[in-house]
Amino acid sequence: MNIDLVMCSEVKSISGDPGNFEVSLVNHPRYIDPVKCTGCGECARHCPVTAVNQYNMKLDDRRATYIEYAQAVPLAFGIDTDTCIGCGLCENMCIAKAIKYDDAERESTLKVGSVILSVGSRGFDPSGLDYLGYGKYTNVVTSEEFERILSASGPYFGHLMRPLDREEPKSIAWLQCVGSRDANRCGNGYCSSVCCMYAVKESMIAKEHVHGELDCVVFNMDMRTFGKDYEKYYLRARDKEGVRFIKARVHSIIEVPETGDLIIQYADEAGKMKEEVFSMVVLSVGLQVQPDAAELAQRLDIKLNKYHFVDSDPFAPVATSQPGIYTCGVLQGPKDIPGSVTEASAAACLAGAELAEARGTDIPKVEIPKEMDVTDQDPRIGVFVCNCGINIGGVVDVPGVKAYAETLPNVVYTDENLFTCSQDTQDKIKEKIIEHNLNRVVVASCSPKTHEAMFMETLEACGLNKYLFEMANIRNQDSWIHSKEPEVATKKAKDLVRMAVARAATLRTLHEKVVPINKQALVIGGGVAGMNAALSLGNQGFNTVLLEKETELGGFSRKLHHTIEGADVQAYLKTLVDDVSGHDKIEVLTGARIVGFEGFKGNFATEVALDGVDKKRKIDHGVFIVATGAGEYQPKEFLYGEDDRVLTQVALSDRLEEKGADGLDSVVMIQCVGSRNDEHVECSRICCQNAVKNALHIKKLNPETQVYVLYRDIRTYGLLEDYFTEAREQGVIFIRFDEDAPPDVRSASEGMLVTVKDHILQQNVEIRADLVTLSAGMRAEDTDEMSQIMKLNRNPEGYFIEAHVKLRPVDMPSDGVFLCGTAHGPKLITEAISQAQAAASRATTFLAKDAIKLSAITAKVDVDHCVKCLTCVRSCPFGVPEFNINEKVIEINEAICHGCGVCASICPRQTIHLSFYDDDQIMCKIDALLEAEGT
Amino acid sequence: MAEEAIKLGGKKKSIFLDKVKELLPEGGHLNLCLTCGACSSGCPATGLEDMDPRKFLRMAALGMDEEITSSPWVWMCTMCQRCIYVCPMKIDIPQLVFNARASWSREDRPKGILGSCDMALKHDTCSAMGTSEEDFQFVVEDVLEEYQEAQPEFSDMKADVNREGAEFFLNQNSREPVTEPDEMVPLWKILHLAGADWTYGTKGWAAENYCMFLADNDAWEHIVRVKAKAVDDLKCKVWLNTE
Repeated sequence: MNIDLVMCSEVKSISGDPGNFEVSLVNHPRYIDPVKCTGCGECARHCPVTAVNQYNMKLDDRRATYIEYAQAVPLAFGIDTDTCIGCGLCENMCIAKAIKYDDAERESTLKVGSVILSVGSRGFDPSGLDYLGYGKYTNVVTSEEFERILSASGPYFGHLMRPLDREEPKSIAWLQCVGSRDANRCGNGYCSSVCCMYAVKESMIAKEHVHGELDCVVFNMDMRTFGKDYEKYYLRARDKEGVRFIKARVHSIIEVPETGDLIIQYADEAGKMKEEVFSMVVLSVGLQVQPDAAELAQRLDIKLNKYHFVDSDPFAPVATSQPGIYTCGVLQGPKDIPGSVTEASAAACLAGAELAEARGTDIPKVEIPKEMDVTDQDPRIGVFVCNCGINIGGVVDVPGVKAYAETLPNVVYTDENLFTCSQDTQDKIKEKIIEHNLNRVVVASCSPKTHEAMFMETLEACGLNKYLFEMANIRNQDSWIHSKEPEVATKKAKDLVRMAVARAATLRTLHEKVVPINKQALVIGGGVAGMNAALSLGNQGFNTVLLEKETELGGFSRKLHHTIEGADVQAYLKTLVDDVSGHDKIEVLTGARIVGFEGFKGNFATEVALDGVDKKRKIDHGVFIVATGAGEYQPKEFLYGEDDRVLTQVALSDRLEEKGADGLDSVVMIQCVGSRNDEHVECSRICCQNAVKNALHIKKLNPETQVYVLYRDIRTYGLLEDYFTEAREQGVIFIRFDEDAPPDVRSASEGMLVTVKDHILQQNVEIRADLVTLSAGMRAEDTDEMSQIMKLNRNPEGYFIEAHVKLRPVDMPSDGVFLCGTAHGPKLITEAISQAQAAASRATTFLAKDAIKLSAITAKVDVDHCVKCLTCVRSCPFGVPEFNINEKVIEINEAICHGCGVCASICPRQTIHLSFYDDDQIMCKIDALLEAEGT
Repeated sequence: MAEEAIKLGGKKKSIFLDKVKELLPEGGHLNLCLTCGACSSGCPATGLEDMDPRKFLRMAALGMDEEITSSPWVWMCTMCQRCIYVCPMKIDIPQLVFNARASWSREDRPKGILGSCDMALKHDTCSAMGTSEEDFQFVVEDVLEEYQEAQPEFSDMKADVNREGAEFFLNQNSREPVTEPDEMVPLWKILHLAGADWTYGTKGWAAENYCMFLADNDAWEHIVRVKAKAVDDLKCKVWLNTE
């Protein structure tokens, strides 16, 4: 409701200032009115023109009148006039009269306060790399093409086949870094960040899709599975699913002309030539900003870097060089979906903070009439049967179903509609509810998943309680499935309608509890993430309490000097602390410890003990953000703590700040100390760039110092790759070691002696070093007590768990609770900042409301009959039912109940009731189903 | 190879790789190796003498100067440049190999290449076969005449020698006039049909330059200068080298 989609449009220019921009648009014609179009698809079914389907990467065809994919938003078709022959068939077929052949290009303007640029990227086009044979050998595909091949909505309907002969492949090779980490052939010196993970994913899905055995090989330089829980996924592919990972960049691909198979020759790490034949080769193409995106950014005077990503400040990651214009996603830099979604929220946060005063002023208000009381009335049911164009009507005898519905008990009105979901039908339904005094409504059409909420709104809009509504899905579950058997489909439609009518008669009025929202926020943890979250909330105009357990703000960042880009962390921290401390909306409590917690979304109360204060402080708040942070692992390995020449990266950077690098002849760095091992499986994400940062610092201070980095995979993802390149340029030597053969570190009078096998020479090297620096991984802060008090879930590594890795990356599973910074998982300062802004943004969407409606679909305990067996307490996936020790009863807080019904169905005494799904409301459907038609 | 550990660390020493870097534009990117192995995967000499381009560069990077400047592998490299073609960092491995060759004392370099270079230095023809100016001219004229007669459709085909002012000055691998004279003719025919304005020269006609492969810079330069002068003396616009 608060989002206007302006499709098929391009930004020509933006004028004005932050808070008051005018955006000039070119609106390209779509030739089908998206408001009138119902997405029924009749136009495309009759279109006689075949066109190349770009959405499926040209692997199949579509019509000239088309929709890109089934879930497209808006769900409306368009005409591709490059291929349309103008025959007029679609116009004749369209019952909604949505076709507009005379649609023309227009220009329009928009008035907005802030702008977010999120134009993204495309996959690299490997056609120019002749040695890979793409475009010449049919069975060499890009990863984007392979994604479509694997997809159920793809060219082969999800059957894994190779393009040449539609045979199922027996073996597939992925070649990594095509269009990434290549300064020679494409100029993309950066790492695309996502290809390692998608290659692992594609190999796993490919194995699932084939009927026999499938040999999957990923040829790579480094496997960069650096994200949260990514390492486990990689290891599962390698160790459980048998995906082979080979450290080699392949020189060229040769086709076997007779079979279409592909020969790959490569040198293994020992320098032995190997040859393997594959059914298919997938080129893992990198991400690249498209020329038109770069042109747009340049038109708006937004500074881009040499790769055409937005040139951003490490401490203001989603800001651009133009005030009031923000960015997110791959245009900001190569990143995966969780990162993009997080940044999107961060950009929304900054864009919104600028307009905080005007919040809510442009939002249309909906007036809802007073609800009619129908509790004492006998059921009067209206049944609306949908044709869905011909989706249902072309198979099911809709007039027959309508006539049948008339014969059912309690039904007083029936109707059939071309499109029951269209706006004019909503008006008609309202009219009929009033005209016929309907007090229950049944719609027989499509899925409640997509349309139930809309029909419920229609009921509300004419004063009928929204829970007096029931749907019968006679499309997805009937006409689409039994399209070849219309009689059976009609019979099934009648069954479904009979069941829905039976249930409708049992429905009772339910009321959603309205709870006011406490507009204060609590942020737990006063590091860079917590402070940014607090600052963002304060800037949005919300009072925020910031808790820090130490006596000073800053967290782990207090130990850091510079980012890899050279930005001064301490100077930034000082400004940040000043901004937070001086903010009139933010109250900072240091030396704070959480000792008590209660409440639910919108109305939490947290009890805090403060150092040196006897009385505990109770804070009421509507939301809270967890930003408890992480620290550096204290190594047990490599003589750490025994020889003072062995130190961590953090200690090394201190030493370099204090003493410089004079007198250092050689420094050895060892990666993955306390990461990627049995005890701590995950990658700590930041250590590779940390080593590179310090190596470059050493080289800057003293070019004569020799630096050796002993690593397993160098994971300088995204634009960090440039620093890895720079380090090699400066002469830093990188030696890869195997997990099973870690370096040997010995103390000697002439220096530390580090022995490791060089991965290329397959021979031991012994390095005499003045210092051995351990890239110690990250460890989550100890939050045992706090997470227990606040009932927050953590993973085995002690990091808090988000609600959904991709879709809700900064939400926690419980409503009103958000997460950011290293409390979520290891990350860089820049990433922590955007995540903090994202968490604040998500919290703002909650705090912006005055009250929330709690769902009326909740479980209730009949305490008189409950025997307190605690089965519900043990079974609830959300930990909601609780035993109240004082009252000696089981309590289910309806504010936090998700209404899933697990407790109601598992209760051995059947003393738990789930409203809207009470036993009688479900059993009556089964009874109705078992009745013969017409009885 | 010795199983003793390679000793690294301590004070920085000047190494062979650094010296080569100074000679090359952008240092030949010699430091940038990702050890990905694309070079070795495509190198025809991988595995010979237990060596491959990646290993060679690695040894250079680790300062194993003795090994790389004495490995006969450098003479097995064909200078085909397949390695640099696909190298993501555009590392000039061929130049590293070339400079390793140059570090060999001249008399220790492979006899075949050495002999061919020395032979080319003897005449202004620059022929590695030692062919004289007169012999070359005689063979060209003799073969031309034979073809003009035998194949009437090419009766007006030309293969001039020392004609001033021609567009192209054509080089010729010197193996053909000596051992396979007929092999010269297909190119003549193509040039004839294309209507090209070309000539041979008695001086500087030999296309090959073994002195380059020998990494004898002075001799290499001498050969190039002799050939360039021959082109200039005949006032030709384009020097067409078929090697």
